[in-house]
Amino acid sequence: MSYHVTATTVVGSSDPLTTEQLARACGAHVDWVRQLAEAGILQVPENRPPTAWLFYSEDLQQALEARRLQRDFDATLDAAALMLDMGREIRRLRALLAAHGVSRAAVD
Amino acid sequence: MDFKDYYRILGVERGASEDDIRKAYRKLARRFHPDVSKEADAETRMREVNEANDVLRDKEKRAAYDALADQVASGAGTGPGGAGTGRGFTPPPGWDQGHEFHRGPGQGPADHAEFSDFFSSIFGAGEQRGRSRQAGPLRGEDHHAAIEVSLEDAMAGAEREISLRAMETADDGRPAFRDRTLSIKIPPGIRPGQFIRLAGQGLPGHGGGEPGDLFLEVRIAPHARYRVEGRDIYMDLPITPSEAALGAQVEVPTPIGSRVEVTVPPNARSGLKLRVKNRGFGGDPPGHFYLLLQIVLPPADNDPVREAYRALARATAAFDPRRHLGA
Repeated sequence: MSYHVTATTVVGSSDPLTTEQLARACGAHVDWVRQLAEAGILQVPENRPPTAWLFYSEDLQQALEARRLQRDFDATLDAAALMLDMGREIRRLRALLAAHGVSRAAVD
Repeated sequence: MDFKDYYRILGVERGASEDDIRKAYRKLARRFHPDVSKEADAETRMREVNEANDVLRDKEKRAAYDALADQVASGAGTGPGGAGTGRGFTPPPGWDQGHEFHRGPGQGPADHAEFSDFFSSIFGAGEQRGRSRQAGPLRGEDHHAAIEVSLEDAMAGAEREISLRAMETADDGRPAFRDRTLSIKIPPGIRPGQFIRLAGQGLPGHGGGEPGDLFLEVRIAPHARYRVEGRDIYMDLPITPSEAALGAQVEVPTPIGSRVEVTVPPNARSGLKLRVKNRGFGGDPPGHFYLLLQIVLPPADNDPVREAYRALARATAAFDPRRHLGA
C-alpha cells in the first residue's frame, strides 16, 4: 500500500472545467457537450465558442446524469433535459421537507 | 467477494433477448430509482441493477460473463467459500481469454464508480487491456467516486484519508486490486453535490500518456441537529411558551462551533422561521442559517406549574383557539 499527499481543488468558479475537461470527465466527446448546451441541459454564454465555455460542479453532475439517461433509457436530449428538471425539483422539494422536519414517510 | 448472478438481479432467464433485458432494466430502474422509490434499500438495489445492466446489455461482456458463470458451475473459480457458494469467489486464471471488452459510447469509469468489487475484478482489467492496445500515448481516463463528510468538516474544512481500490493486471495475467491511501484536504465551505478534483489520481495512462483525474462527489452525512437544503442550513430551536409569548434573546450553536444570539419576537408561533444571515454555506450568494421555532410546553408535573397553567387559563379565558371550527 502506498501513501500520497494529494492536492485537491473544488470544481467551481476558482477551478472550473473547460469543455474538453468536462467531456473527458464524462467519458464523452466535446461535440456531446455542445449538444447538451443546445438542449439547455448546460448553460453557456451566448456568442462564445465552446473553447471559451467554463463549467462548475453542478454542470458536471447534470452532464453525468444526462449521459446515464441517454444510455440506459435511450432518452433524447430534450427528454433527458425534462427528466433532469423534474428530478432536480423532486430533490429540492424533498430537501425542503427534510429541512422543515417533515419526514418523507409522513407525506407518502 | 460474492459471485453476482446478474440474470437473477434483473429477473430474466439466461437466454433472455436484448429486448427482454432492456425492458427488465427499465422496469427495475423505475422501481428502485432513488428519486421515486419508496423501498428502504433503493439506492443499493439501483446500484446492483445498473451493474447487471451494464454487463448484460453489452454483447462482449455478457458472453464473457456467461463463460465465467459456466466455469463457476463446473467448479472453477473457487475461493475460501468453494465454487458456486457465492462466498470467497475469485475468477479462475485466464477465464477471459478470447474475450475483449470495448467501451461503447457512454460507458466508462464515470458509470462504474459505484459498481462492486466483483464487477471490477471481472471487467476492470479487461477494459484497461483494451485501451492499452491502442497506438500512441493515451491519457488515462478520469475516475469518479463519492466521499461523505460531516457537516462540520464540510464547513470548516478538514484533512481526510481515503482508500481507493484500482484494478490492475498482475504479472500472471490475473486481475488484482491495488489499494492506495490518499491524504486529501476537504476545502472549507464545500457543499453537497460539489466535486473535489484530484489531478493525476484517475486511471493510469498508456504509452507514456498522463494519468486521468479523480473526481470525488461530496455528500454530507446526516446530522443529529442540522439539516442542509442547498446552501442553507436548518435547525429546530426549542423555546418555552413564555419566550414565544413575550419574546426573548436566545443563544444558539452554529455548525462551525461558534454561538450566536438571536431575537425571538413577541407572539412567536411554532414553525416560525428565523434567519441568521450568511451563516449557511458560502458562495455567491451565500446561504443562511435558519431556525425553526418549536414551542415546548413545560410538563405540568408539580403544583406550582399546575397553578401557573390555571392562572394562565383564567387570564386568557376569552381566548378560544377553536373558534374558527365553529364549535
